[in-house]
Amino acid sequence: MASGALVDASGLVKRFGGIRAVDGLTLSVAPGELIGLIGPNGSGKTTLINLLSGALSPDNGTIRLDGTRMNGKAAHVFAGQGVGRTFQIPRLFRRMTVLENLLAPALTRTGARGRGAIELRAAEVLAFLHLGALAQNEARALSGGQQKLLELGRAMMLEPRVLLLDEPFAGVHPKLLGEIVDRIKELSRRGYTIILVDHNLDAVGGLVGRLVVMARGRGIADGTPEDVLRSIDVIDAYTGA
Amino acid sequence: MGQGARSRAWWLAPILAALVLPPLLDSYWLHVVSVSWYYALLAASWVLLAGYAGQFSFAHMAFAAIGGYTSGLLAANLHVPPPLGILCGILAAAIVGAAVGWLCLRLRGPYLSLFTLAFALIFQLFLIAEYQFTRGSLGLSVPALFGGNSDIPYYYTGFGLLLASLAIMHAVLRSRVGIFLRATREDEDAAEASGIDTSRYKILVFTLTSAIAGLAGGFYGHFVGILTPNLVTIPEMGLVVAMAVVGGVESLPGAVIGAVFVYVLSELLRDTGQMRFVILGLVIMLTQRFAQRGLVTLALAGAGRLLRRSVPAVPEPEAAIPLAEREKHVG
Repeated sequence: MASGALVDASGLVKRFGGIRAVDGLTLSVAPGELIGLIGPNGSGKTTLINLLSGALSPDNGTIRLDGTRMNGKAAHVFAGQGVGRTFQIPRLFRRMTVLENLLAPALTRTGARGRGAIELRAAEVLAFLHLGALAQNEARALSGGQQKLLELGRAMMLEPRVLLLDEPFAGVHPKLLGEIVDRIKELSRRGYTIILVDHNLDAVGGLVGRLVVMARGRGIADGTPEDVLRSIDVIDAYTGA
Repeated sequence: MGQGARSRAWWLAPILAALVLPPLLDSYWLHVVSVSWYYALLAASWVLLAGYAGQFSFAHMAFAAIGGYTSGLLAANLHVPPPLGILCGILAAAIVGAAVGWLCLRLRGPYLSLFTLAFALIFQLFLIAEYQFTRGSLGLSVPALFGGNSDIPYYYTGFGLLLASLAIMHAVLRSRVGIFLRATREDEDAAEASGIDTSRYKILVFTLTSAIAGLAGGFYGHFVGILTPNLVTIPEMGLVVAMAVVGGVESLPGAVIGAVFVYVLSELLRDTGQMRFVILGLVIMLTQRFAQRGLVTLALAGAGRLLRRSVPAVPEPEAAIPLAEREKHVG
Protein backbone atom coordinates (compact mmCIF):
# COMPACT_ATOMS: atom_id res chain seq x y z
CA MET A 1 0.00 0.00 0.00
CA ALA A 2 1.35 3.43 -0.93
CA SER A 3 1.82 5.32 2.32
CA GLY A 4 -0.42 8.38 2.67
CA ALA A 5 -2.52 7.47 -0.38
CA LEU A 6 -6.20 8.42 -0.15
CA VAL A 7 -7.18 6.04 -2.94
CA ASP A 8 -5.07 2.94 -3.31
CA ALA A 9 -5.99 0.35 -5.93
CA SER A 10 -3.68 -2.61 -6.21
CA GLY A 11 -3.67 -5.34 -8.86
CA LEU A 12 -7.29 -4.69 -9.82
CA VAL A 13 -8.86 -7.20 -12.19
CA LYS A 14 -12.40 -7.10 -13.55
CA ARG A 15 -13.60 -9.62 -16.12
CA PHE A 16 -16.80 -9.59 -18.17
CA GLY A 17 -17.01 -13.10 -19.58
CA GLY A 18 -13.74 -13.64 -21.40
CA ILE A 19 -12.84 -9.95 -21.52
CA ARG A 20 -10.52 -8.49 -18.89
CA ALA A 21 -11.85 -4.93 -18.80
CA VAL A 22 -9.37 -4.04 -16.04
CA ASP A 23 -6.29 -6.20 -15.99
CA GLY A 24 -4.03 -5.90 -12.99
CA LEU A 25 -4.14 -2.12 -12.67
CA THR A 26 -2.43 -0.40 -9.75
CA LEU A 27 -3.11 3.24 -8.94
CA SER A 28 -2.44 5.45 -5.93
CA VAL A 29 -3.84 8.92 -5.51
CA ALA A 30 -2.64 11.27 -2.79
CA PRO A 31 -5.00 13.57 -0.86
CA GLY A 32 -5.68 16.78 -2.77
CA GLU A 33 -4.30 15.41 -6.02
CA LEU A 34 -6.02 16.08 -9.36
CA ILE A 35 -5.22 13.33 -11.83
CA GLY A 36 -6.40 12.75 -15.36
CA LEU A 37 -7.20 9.26 -16.60
CA ILE A 38 -7.20 8.88 -20.35
CA GLY A 39 -7.17 6.06 -22.85
CA PRO A 40 -8.80 4.94 -26.07
CA ASN A 41 -12.34 3.54 -26.17
CA GLY A 42 -12.59 0.20 -24.38
CA SER A 43 -9.43 0.74 -22.36
CA GLY A 44 -11.29 0.18 -19.07
CA LYS A 45 -11.54 3.73 -17.73
CA THR A 46 -15.24 3.63 -16.87
CA THR A 47 -14.90 0.13 -15.43
CA LEU A 48 -12.14 1.46 -13.18
CA ILE A 49 -14.42 4.31 -12.03
CA ASN A 50 -17.16 1.76 -11.36
CA LEU A 51 -14.72 -0.29 -9.27
CA LEU A 52 -13.47 2.72 -7.34
CA SER A 53 -17.05 3.80 -6.56
CA GLY A 54 -18.35 0.36 -5.55
CA ALA A 55 -20.72 0.02 -8.51
CA LEU A 56 -18.70 -3.09 -9.43
CA SER A 57 -16.68 -5.46 -7.26
CA PRO A 58 -13.21 -6.46 -8.42
CA ASP A 59 -12.52 -10.11 -9.26
CA ASN A 60 -8.99 -9.68 -7.93
CA GLY A 61 -6.96 -7.01 -6.26
CA THR A 62 -7.76 -4.60 -3.45
CA ILE A 63 -9.24 -1.15 -3.13
CA ARG A 64 -8.39 0.92 -0.09
CA LEU A 65 -9.81 4.27 0.83
CA ASP A 66 -7.65 6.09 3.33
CA GLY A 67 -6.27 2.71 4.39
CA THR A 68 -9.69 1.01 4.77
CA ARG A 69 -10.23 -2.04 2.59
CA MET A 70 -13.40 -1.47 0.53
CA ASN A 71 -13.64 -4.67 -1.54
CA GLY A 72 -17.18 -6.08 -1.74
CA LYS A 73 -18.82 -3.06 -0.15
CA ALA A 74 -21.95 -1.59 -1.77
CA ALA A 75 -21.85 1.66 -3.71
CA HIS A 76 -23.78 3.52 -0.99
CA VAL A 77 -21.08 2.53 1.51
CA PHE A 78 -18.41 3.98 -0.78
CA ALA A 79 -20.51 7.15 -1.01
CA GLY A 80 -20.87 7.18 2.77
CA GLN A 81 -17.08 6.96 3.06
CA GLY A 82 -16.75 10.06 0.89
CA VAL A 83 -16.51 8.78 -2.68
CA GLY A 84 -18.55 11.03 -4.96
CA ARG A 85 -18.94 10.28 -8.63
CA THR A 86 -20.49 11.45 -11.86
CA PHE A 87 -21.53 9.30 -14.82
CA GLN A 88 -20.45 9.33 -18.46
CA ILE A 89 -24.06 10.09 -19.45
CA PRO A 90 -25.66 12.15 -16.66
CA ARG A 91 -27.86 10.03 -14.44
CA LEU A 92 -29.92 12.52 -12.54
CA PHE A 93 -33.14 12.03 -10.65
CA ARG A 94 -34.90 13.42 -13.69
CA ARG A 95 -38.40 13.98 -12.36
CA MET A 96 -37.14 15.57 -9.15
CA THR A 97 -36.21 19.21 -8.85
CA VAL A 98 -32.65 20.45 -9.10
CA LEU A 99 -32.76 21.21 -5.37
CA GLU A 100 -34.05 17.73 -4.50
CA ASN A 101 -31.22 16.21 -6.54
CA LEU A 102 -28.82 17.96 -4.20
CA LEU A 103 -30.73 17.23 -1.00
CA ALA A 104 -30.90 13.46 -1.55
CA PRO A 105 -27.19 12.67 -0.99
CA ALA A 106 -26.81 15.16 1.85
CA LEU A 107 -29.81 13.75 3.72
CA THR A 108 -28.13 10.32 3.82
CA ARG A 109 -25.39 11.82 5.95
CA THR A 110 -27.07 14.18 8.37
CA GLY A 111 -30.67 13.08 8.66
CA ALA A 112 -33.76 15.23 8.69
CA ARG A 113 -32.73 17.29 11.74
CA GLY A 114 -30.06 19.16 9.86
CA ARG A 115 -32.28 19.93 6.90
CA GLY A 116 -31.91 23.69 7.27
CA ALA A 117 -28.13 23.43 7.14
CA ILE A 118 -28.37 21.07 4.17
CA GLU A 119 -30.58 23.47 2.25
CA LEU A 120 -28.10 26.25 2.98
CA ARG A 121 -25.28 24.06 1.69
CA ALA A 122 -27.35 23.17 -1.42
CA ALA A 123 -27.88 26.88 -2.09
CA GLU A 124 -24.10 27.42 -1.87
CA VAL A 125 -23.43 24.55 -4.27
CA LEU A 126 -26.05 25.83 -6.71
CA ALA A 127 -24.51 29.30 -6.58
CA PHE A 128 -21.03 27.80 -7.09
CA LEU A 129 -22.30 25.98 -10.18
CA HIS A 130 -24.33 28.96 -11.37
CA LEU A 131 -27.53 26.91 -11.23
CA GLY A 132 -29.31 28.89 -8.52
CA ALA A 133 -31.99 30.15 -10.87
CA LEU A 134 -32.98 26.59 -11.72
CA ALA A 135 -33.41 25.21 -8.19
CA GLN A 136 -37.10 24.48 -8.53
CA ASN A 137 -36.96 23.15 -12.09
CA GLU A 138 -37.17 19.44 -12.79
CA ALA A 139 -33.72 18.06 -13.60
CA ARG A 140 -34.93 16.71 -16.94
CA ALA A 141 -35.55 20.29 -18.12
CA LEU A 142 -31.83 21.15 -17.94
CA SER A 143 -29.51 21.27 -20.94
CA GLY A 144 -26.82 18.58 -21.28
CA GLY A 145 -24.11 20.82 -19.84
CA GLN A 146 -26.29 21.91 -16.96
CA GLN A 147 -27.01 18.27 -16.19
CA LYS A 148 -23.26 17.62 -15.99
CA LEU A 149 -22.91 20.53 -13.58
CA LEU A 150 -25.82 19.30 -11.47
CA GLU A 151 -24.27 15.84 -11.26
CA LEU A 152 -21.07 17.45 -10.06
CA GLY A 153 -23.10 19.35 -7.48
CA ARG A 154 -24.83 16.18 -6.33
CA ALA A 155 -21.45 14.54 -5.76
CA MET A 156 -20.25 17.65 -3.90
CA MET A 157 -23.20 17.38 -1.50
CA LEU A 158 -21.64 14.18 -0.14
CA GLU A 159 -18.74 16.32 1.16
CA PRO A 160 -16.55 13.85 -0.70
CA ARG A 161 -12.96 13.01 0.08
CA VAL A 162 -12.52 11.94 -3.53
CA LEU A 163 -14.42 12.89 -6.66
CA LEU A 164 -14.56 10.53 -9.63
CA LEU A 165 -15.59 12.45 -12.74
CA ASP A 166 -16.43 10.27 -15.72
CA GLU A 167 -16.13 12.28 -18.93
CA PRO A 168 -17.46 15.59 -17.57
CA PHE A 169 -16.72 17.36 -20.87
CA ALA A 170 -18.33 14.84 -23.25
CA GLY A 171 -21.07 16.35 -25.42
CA VAL A 172 -20.96 19.67 -23.61
CA HIS A 173 -21.51 22.96 -25.47
CA PRO A 174 -18.18 24.84 -25.73
CA LYS A 175 -19.62 27.71 -23.68
CA LEU A 176 -20.39 25.39 -20.80
CA LEU A 177 -17.15 23.44 -21.21
CA GLY A 178 -15.14 26.41 -19.92
CA GLU A 179 -17.56 26.69 -17.02
CA ILE A 180 -17.06 23.05 -16.04
CA VAL A 181 -13.26 23.34 -16.37
CA ASP A 182 -13.32 26.40 -14.11
CA ARG A 183 -15.44 24.63 -11.51
CA ILE A 184 -13.14 21.61 -11.45
CA LYS A 185 -10.07 23.89 -11.10
CA GLU A 186 -11.76 25.67 -8.21
CA LEU A 187 -12.62 22.38 -6.49
CA SER A 188 -9.02 21.26 -6.85
CA ARG A 189 -7.84 24.58 -5.42
CA ARG A 190 -10.14 23.96 -2.44
CA GLY A 191 -8.35 20.67 -1.76
CA TYR A 192 -10.71 18.10 -3.29
CA THR A 193 -9.04 14.90 -4.50
CA ILE A 194 -10.20 14.36 -8.08
CA ILE A 195 -9.83 11.57 -10.62
CA LEU A 196 -10.92 12.88 -13.98
CA VAL A 197 -11.65 10.61 -16.94
CA ASP A 198 -12.03 12.14 -20.36
CA HIS A 199 -11.18 11.90 -24.04
CA ASN A 200 -10.64 15.63 -24.36
CA LEU A 201 -6.84 15.68 -24.11
CA ASP A 202 -6.64 19.46 -24.38
CA ALA A 203 -9.08 20.00 -21.52
CA VAL A 204 -7.57 17.26 -19.33
CA GLY A 205 -3.93 18.12 -20.11
CA GLY A 206 -4.52 21.75 -19.18
CA LEU A 207 -6.14 20.85 -15.89
CA VAL A 208 -4.14 18.11 -14.24
CA GLY A 209 -0.64 17.79 -12.92
CA ARG A 210 -0.57 14.05 -13.39
CA LEU A 211 -1.88 11.93 -16.24
CA VAL A 212 -2.48 8.19 -16.18
CA VAL A 213 -3.02 6.39 -19.49
CA MET A 214 -4.92 3.10 -19.76
CA ALA A 215 -4.98 0.67 -22.67
CA ARG A 216 -6.51 -2.82 -22.71
CA GLY A 217 -7.28 -2.58 -19.00
CA ARG A 218 -3.74 -1.74 -17.93
CA GLY A 219 -1.92 1.41 -16.96
CA ILE A 220 0.65 2.11 -19.67
CA ALA A 221 1.88 5.54 -18.60
CA ASP A 222 1.83 7.70 -15.50
CA GLY A 223 3.45 11.12 -15.20
CA THR A 224 3.16 14.76 -16.09
CA PRO A 225 0.95 15.50 -19.11
CA GLU A 226 3.98 16.66 -21.12
CA ASP A 227 5.92 13.45 -20.49
CA VAL A 228 2.99 11.13 -20.93
CA LEU A 229 1.79 12.61 -24.21
CA ARG A 230 5.27 12.17 -25.66
CA SER A 231 5.36 8.49 -24.66
CA ILE A 232 5.65 6.08 -27.58
CA ASP A 233 3.33 3.59 -25.84
CA VAL A 234 0.66 6.23 -25.52
CA ILE A 235 0.97 7.28 -29.15
CA ASP A 236 0.78 3.60 -30.15
CA ALA A 237 -2.30 3.03 -28.01
CA TYR A 238 -4.13 6.00 -29.51
CA THR A 239 -3.09 5.34 -33.10
CA GLY A 240 -3.64 1.59 -32.80
CA ALA A 241 -0.07 0.86 -33.89
CA MET B 1 -57.61 34.09 3.65
CA GLY B 2 -53.98 33.27 2.68
CA GLN B 3 -52.92 30.75 0.10
CA GLY B 4 -51.97 28.15 2.75
CA ALA B 5 -55.32 28.43 4.45
CA ARG B 6 -57.11 28.17 1.10
CA SER B 7 -55.08 25.11 0.27
CA ARG B 8 -56.02 23.49 3.59
CA ALA B 9 -59.66 24.39 2.99
CA TRP B 10 -59.37 22.76 -0.42
CA TRP B 11 -58.49 19.47 1.26
CA LEU B 12 -60.86 19.84 4.17
CA ALA B 13 -63.84 20.28 1.84
CA PRO B 14 -63.91 16.67 0.49
CA ILE B 15 -63.21 15.30 3.98
CA LEU B 16 -66.15 17.21 5.43
CA ALA B 17 -68.29 16.20 2.46
CA ALA B 18 -67.45 12.54 3.09
CA LEU B 19 -68.33 12.94 6.78
CA VAL B 20 -71.81 14.35 6.10
CA LEU B 21 -72.57 12.07 3.14
CA PRO B 22 -74.08 8.90 4.77
CA PRO B 23 -77.51 10.31 5.66
CA LEU B 24 -77.87 11.39 2.02
CA LEU B 25 -77.22 7.91 0.62
CA ASP B 26 -79.55 4.94 0.43
CA SER B 27 -78.30 1.65 1.83
CA TYR B 28 -77.08 0.39 -1.56
CA TRP B 29 -74.90 3.43 -2.29
CA LEU B 30 -73.74 3.60 1.31
CA HIS B 31 -72.46 0.06 0.86
CA VAL B 32 -70.84 0.96 -2.47
CA VAL B 33 -69.00 3.97 -1.06
CA SER B 34 -67.96 1.98 2.03
CA VAL B 35 -66.44 -0.71 -0.20
CA SER B 36 -64.73 2.03 -2.20
CA TRP B 37 -62.73 2.98 0.95
CA TYR B 38 -61.23 -0.52 0.76
CA TYR B 39 -60.19 0.09 -2.84
CA ALA B 40 -58.96 3.58 -1.95
CA LEU B 41 -56.65 2.08 0.71
CA LEU B 42 -55.30 -0.34 -1.88
CA ALA B 43 -54.93 2.22 -4.66
CA ALA B 44 -53.22 4.79 -2.44
CA SER B 45 -50.76 2.28 -0.98
CA TRP B 46 -50.06 0.90 -4.46
CA VAL B 47 -49.36 4.45 -5.62
CA LEU B 48 -46.76 4.81 -2.87
CA LEU B 49 -45.17 1.51 -3.90
CA ALA B 50 -45.33 1.84 -7.68
CA GLY B 51 -45.79 5.54 -8.38
CA TYR B 52 -43.37 7.01 -5.86
CA ALA B 53 -40.94 4.16 -5.25
CA GLY B 54 -41.07 2.66 -8.77
CA GLN B 55 -41.75 -0.90 -7.56
CA PHE B 56 -44.41 -1.95 -10.06
CA SER B 57 -45.83 -4.85 -8.07
CA PHE B 58 -48.80 -7.06 -8.97
CA ALA B 59 -48.81 -8.74 -5.57
CA HIS B 60 -50.80 -6.04 -3.79
CA MET B 61 -54.07 -7.97 -3.75
CA ALA B 62 -52.24 -10.97 -2.33
CA PHE B 63 -51.22 -8.85 0.67
CA ALA B 64 -54.81 -7.72 1.09
CA ALA B 65 -55.83 -11.38 1.06
CA ILE B 66 -53.13 -12.25 3.60
CA GLY B 67 -54.52 -9.58 5.92
CA GLY B 68 -58.11 -10.65 5.35
CA TYR B 69 -57.56 -14.39 5.63
CA THR B 70 -55.31 -14.06 8.68
CA SER B 71 -57.98 -12.13 10.54
CA GLY B 72 -60.78 -14.33 9.20
CA LEU B 73 -59.04 -17.59 10.09
CA LEU B 74 -58.10 -16.36 13.57
CA ALA B 75 -61.71 -15.38 14.18
CA ALA B 76 -63.12 -18.62 12.75
CA ASN B 77 -60.71 -21.02 14.45
CA LEU B 78 -59.54 -19.25 17.60
CA HIS B 79 -62.38 -16.76 18.15
CA VAL B 80 -59.92 -13.89 18.11
CA PRO B 81 -61.80 -10.56 18.23
CA PRO B 82 -61.84 -8.85 14.80
CA PRO B 83 -59.81 -5.75 15.81
CA LEU B 84 -57.02 -7.97 17.17
CA GLY B 85 -57.34 -10.23 14.13
CA ILE B 86 -56.96 -7.25 11.81
CA LEU B 87 -53.80 -6.22 13.69
CA CYS B 88 -52.44 -9.77 13.24
CA GLY B 89 -53.38 -9.56 9.54
CA ILE B 90 -51.47 -6.30 9.20
CA LEU B 91 -48.44 -7.90 10.85
CA ALA B 92 -48.64 -11.01 8.64
CA ALA B 93 -48.95 -8.94 5.47
CA ALA B 94 -46.03 -6.73 6.57
CA ILE B 95 -43.79 -9.74 7.24
CA VAL B 96 -44.60 -11.40 3.91
CA GLY B 97 -44.27 -8.00 2.21
CA ALA B 98 -40.79 -7.55 3.68
CA ALA B 99 -39.84 -11.04 2.49
CA VAL B 100 -41.13 -10.38 -1.03
CA GLY B 101 -39.35 -7.02 -1.02
CA TRP B 102 -36.12 -8.74 -0.04
CA LEU B 103 -36.55 -11.38 -2.75
CA CYS B 104 -37.19 -8.63 -5.33
CA LEU B 105 -34.12 -6.57 -4.44
CA ARG B 106 -32.23 -7.40 -7.59
CA LEU B 107 -35.30 -7.34 -9.85
CA ARG B 108 -36.26 -4.27 -11.81
CA GLY B 109 -39.00 -3.27 -14.25
CA PRO B 110 -40.80 -6.15 -15.97
CA TYR B 111 -38.87 -8.78 -13.98
CA LEU B 112 -40.21 -7.38 -10.71
CA SER B 113 -43.73 -7.23 -12.15
CA LEU B 114 -43.56 -10.83 -13.38
CA PHE B 115 -42.18 -12.07 -10.06
CA THR B 116 -44.93 -10.38 -8.06
CA LEU B 117 -47.58 -11.55 -10.52
CA ALA B 118 -46.34 -15.13 -10.11
CA PHE B 119 -46.41 -14.71 -6.32
CA ALA B 120 -50.02 -13.49 -6.45
CA LEU B 121 -51.13 -16.36 -8.71
CA ILE B 122 -49.38 -18.94 -6.54
CA PHE B 123 -51.04 -17.46 -3.46
CA GLN B 124 -54.44 -17.60 -5.15
CA LEU B 125 -53.87 -21.27 -6.05
CA PHE B 126 -52.81 -21.91 -2.46
CA LEU B 127 -56.09 -20.41 -1.19
CA ILE B 128 -58.04 -22.64 -3.59
CA ALA B 129 -56.02 -25.80 -2.96
CA GLU B 130 -56.00 -25.58 0.85
CA TYR B 131 -59.79 -25.64 0.97
CA GLN B 132 -59.88 -27.58 4.27
CA PHE B 133 -58.21 -24.63 5.85
CA THR B 134 -59.43 -21.68 3.77
CA ARG B 135 -62.73 -23.11 2.46
CA GLY B 136 -61.30 -22.63 -1.05
CA SER B 137 -63.64 -21.25 -3.70
CA LEU B 138 -66.65 -21.72 -1.39
CA GLY B 139 -65.37 -18.78 0.60
CA LEU B 140 -64.41 -18.26 4.22
CA SER B 141 -67.14 -16.84 6.42
CA VAL B 142 -65.81 -13.97 8.48
CA PRO B 143 -67.61 -12.49 11.51
CA ALA B 144 -68.81 -8.92 11.28
CA LEU B 145 -66.84 -6.11 12.85
CA PHE B 146 -70.00 -4.47 14.17
CA GLY B 147 -73.43 -5.75 15.23
CA GLY B 148 -76.60 -4.63 13.48
CA ASN B 149 -77.45 -4.27 9.81
CA SER B 150 -76.32 -0.72 9.15
CA ASP B 151 -73.28 -0.01 7.01
CA ILE B 152 -72.75 3.38 8.63
CA PRO B 153 -70.20 2.14 11.21
CA TYR B 154 -68.25 0.48 8.36
CA TYR B 155 -68.44 3.66 6.32
CA TYR B 156 -66.87 5.75 9.07
CA THR B 157 -64.40 3.06 10.12
CA GLY B 158 -63.22 2.59 6.54
CA PHE B 159 -62.94 6.34 6.06
CA GLY B 160 -61.04 6.74 9.34
CA LEU B 161 -58.61 3.96 8.42
CA LEU B 162 -58.13 5.60 5.04
CA LEU B 163 -57.37 9.01 6.55
CA ALA B 164 -54.96 7.49 9.08
CA SER B 165 -53.15 5.52 6.35
CA LEU B 166 -52.96 8.59 4.13
CA ALA B 167 -51.50 10.59 7.01
CA ILE B 168 -48.79 7.95 7.55
CA MET B 169 -47.96 7.71 3.85
CA HIS B 170 -47.95 11.50 3.51
CA ALA B 171 -45.57 11.78 6.46
CA VAL B 172 -43.26 9.20 4.86
CA LEU B 173 -43.26 11.07 1.57
CA ARG B 174 -42.57 14.41 3.27
CA SER B 175 -39.61 12.95 5.17
CA ARG B 176 -36.18 12.20 3.75
CA VAL B 177 -37.40 8.65 3.09
CA GLY B 178 -39.77 10.12 0.48
CA ILE B 179 -36.85 11.73 -1.34
CA PHE B 180 -34.87 8.46 -1.15
CA LEU B 181 -37.80 6.46 -2.55
CA ARG B 182 -38.26 8.85 -5.47
CA ALA B 183 -34.53 8.91 -6.14
CA THR B 184 -34.52 5.09 -6.19
CA ARG B 185 -37.41 5.14 -8.65
CA GLU B 186 -35.59 7.58 -10.91
CA ASP B 187 -32.24 5.78 -11.04
CA GLU B 188 -31.22 3.06 -8.64
CA ASP B 189 -27.51 3.19 -9.51
CA ALA B 190 -27.38 6.97 -9.16
CA ALA B 191 -29.25 6.70 -5.86
CA GLU B 192 -26.66 4.19 -4.58
CA ALA B 193 -23.85 6.47 -5.78
CA SER B 194 -25.52 9.24 -3.77
CA GLY B 195 -25.26 7.18 -0.60
CA ILE B 196 -28.83 5.86 -0.53
CA ASP B 197 -29.14 2.27 0.69
CA THR B 198 -31.72 1.39 -1.95
CA SER B 199 -32.21 -2.19 -0.66
CA ARG B 200 -33.22 -0.92 2.75
CA TYR B 201 -35.76 1.56 1.41
CA LYS B 202 -37.21 -0.90 -1.11
CA ILE B 203 -37.85 -3.40 1.70
CA LEU B 204 -39.26 -0.60 3.84
CA VAL B 205 -41.76 0.51 1.20
CA PHE B 206 -42.80 -3.08 0.46
CA THR B 207 -43.36 -3.64 4.20
CA LEU B 208 -45.34 -0.45 4.74
CA THR B 209 -47.57 -0.77 1.68
CA SER B 210 -48.17 -4.48 2.31
CA ALA B 211 -49.23 -3.66 5.87
CA ILE B 212 -51.75 -1.11 4.54
CA ALA B 213 -53.02 -3.64 1.99
CA GLY B 214 -53.34 -6.15 4.86
CA LEU B 215 -55.33 -3.59 6.82
CA ALA B 216 -57.59 -3.06 3.81
CA GLY B 217 -58.09 -6.81 3.44
CA GLY B 218 -58.91 -7.22 7.13
CA PHE B 219 -61.45 -4.41 7.04
CA TYR B 220 -63.02 -5.74 3.84
CA GLY B 221 -63.33 -9.32 5.14
CA HIS B 222 -65.10 -8.27 8.33
CA PHE B 223 -67.30 -5.88 6.35
CA VAL B 224 -68.58 -8.13 3.56
CA GLY B 225 -68.47 -11.27 5.72
CA ILE B 226 -66.88 -13.61 3.22
CA LEU B 227 -63.45 -14.00 1.63
CA THR B 228 -62.77 -15.94 -1.54
CA PRO B 229 -59.66 -16.47 -3.68
CA ASN B 230 -61.26 -14.11 -6.23
CA LEU B 231 -59.78 -11.34 -4.12
CA VAL B 232 -56.40 -12.13 -5.69
CA THR B 233 -57.40 -12.36 -9.35
CA ILE B 234 -55.66 -10.39 -12.08
CA PRO B 235 -58.84 -8.37 -12.86
CA GLU B 236 -59.01 -7.26 -9.22
CA MET B 237 -55.37 -6.13 -9.38
CA GLY B 238 -56.10 -4.50 -12.72
CA LEU B 239 -58.97 -2.60 -11.13
CA VAL B 240 -56.68 -1.18 -8.44
CA VAL B 241 -54.08 -0.21 -11.06
CA ALA B 242 -56.84 1.42 -13.12
CA MET B 243 -57.98 3.42 -10.10
CA ALA B 244 -54.42 4.62 -9.53
CA VAL B 245 -53.91 5.46 -13.20
CA VAL B 246 -57.16 7.40 -13.44
CA GLY B 247 -56.44 9.29 -10.23
CA GLY B 248 -52.74 9.79 -10.85
CA VAL B 249 -49.94 7.36 -10.05
CA GLU B 250 -47.97 10.04 -8.24
CA SER B 251 -50.73 11.41 -6.07
CA LEU B 252 -52.14 9.88 -2.88
CA PRO B 253 -55.35 11.96 -2.91
CA GLY B 254 -55.56 11.34 -6.65
CA ALA B 255 -55.53 7.59 -6.04
CA VAL B 256 -58.28 7.90 -3.42
CA ILE B 257 -60.52 9.96 -5.69
CA GLY B 258 -59.66 7.68 -8.62
CA ALA B 259 -60.66 4.63 -6.57
CA VAL B 260 -64.01 6.09 -5.53
CA PHE B 261 -64.66 7.39 -9.05
CA VAL B 262 -63.88 4.11 -10.82
CA TYR B 263 -65.73 1.95 -8.29
CA VAL B 264 -68.82 4.15 -8.29
CA LEU B 265 -68.70 4.36 -12.10
CA SER B 266 -68.48 0.57 -12.38
CA GLU B 267 -71.56 0.29 -10.14
CA LEU B 268 -73.43 2.90 -12.18
CA LEU B 269 -72.65 0.87 -15.29
CA ARG B 270 -73.59 -2.46 -13.72
CA ASP B 271 -76.78 -2.68 -15.81
CA THR B 272 -74.69 -2.60 -18.98
CA GLY B 273 -73.22 -6.02 -18.12
CA GLN B 274 -69.83 -6.74 -19.66
CA MET B 275 -69.98 -3.42 -21.53
CA ARG B 276 -68.97 -1.67 -18.31
CA PHE B 277 -65.50 -3.19 -18.59
CA VAL B 278 -65.28 -1.85 -22.15
CA ILE B 279 -66.28 1.61 -20.93
CA LEU B 280 -63.86 1.47 -17.99
CA GLY B 281 -61.12 0.32 -20.36
CA LEU B 282 -61.82 3.29 -22.61
CA VAL B 283 -61.63 5.68 -19.66
CA ILE B 284 -58.22 4.26 -18.76
CA MET B 285 -56.97 4.39 -22.35
CA LEU B 286 -58.11 7.99 -22.77
CA THR B 287 -56.52 8.92 -19.44
CA GLN B 288 -53.23 7.38 -20.52
CA ARG B 289 -53.39 9.13 -23.86
CA PHE B 290 -54.45 12.61 -22.78
CA ALA B 291 -53.69 12.88 -19.05
CA GLN B 292 -50.80 10.61 -18.16
CA ARG B 293 -50.56 12.06 -14.66
CA GLY B 294 -54.19 11.14 -14.03
CA LEU B 295 -57.51 12.94 -14.28
CA VAL B 296 -57.53 13.97 -10.65
CA THR B 297 -53.97 15.32 -10.80
CA LEU B 298 -54.97 17.27 -13.89
CA ALA B 299 -58.06 18.68 -12.17
CA LEU B 300 -56.09 19.53 -9.02
CA ALA B 301 -53.42 21.30 -11.08
CA GLY B 302 -56.15 23.34 -12.79
CA ALA B 303 -57.73 24.18 -9.45
CA GLY B 304 -54.30 25.13 -8.10
CA ARG B 305 -53.80 27.54 -11.00
CA LEU B 306 -57.19 29.11 -10.30
CA LEU B 307 -56.27 29.38 -6.62
CA ARG B 308 -53.00 31.15 -7.44
CA ARG B 309 -54.76 33.55 -9.80
CA SER B 310 -57.18 34.56 -7.07
CA VAL B 311 -54.33 35.30 -4.63
CA PRO B 312 -51.71 37.98 -5.35
CA ALA B 313 -48.66 36.05 -6.48
CA VAL B 314 -45.51 36.13 -4.37
CA PRO B 315 -42.72 37.17 -6.75
CA GLU B 316 -40.35 34.32 -7.59
CA PRO B 317 -37.82 36.14 -9.76
CA GLU B 318 -35.39 33.26 -10.17
CA ALA B 319 -37.94 30.60 -11.05
CA ALA B 320 -39.63 32.98 -13.46
CA ILE B 321 -36.56 33.46 -15.65
CA PRO B 322 -37.16 31.85 -19.06
CA LEU B 323 -34.94 28.92 -20.02
CA ALA B 324 -33.09 30.92 -22.71
CA GLU B 325 -32.15 33.49 -20.09
CA ARG B 326 -31.04 30.82 -17.68
CA GLU B 327 -28.67 29.42 -20.30
CA LYS B 328 -26.97 32.82 -20.33
CA HIS B 329 -26.47 32.60 -16.57
CA VAL B 330 -24.71 29.29 -16.96
CA GLY B 331 -23.03 29.71 -20.29
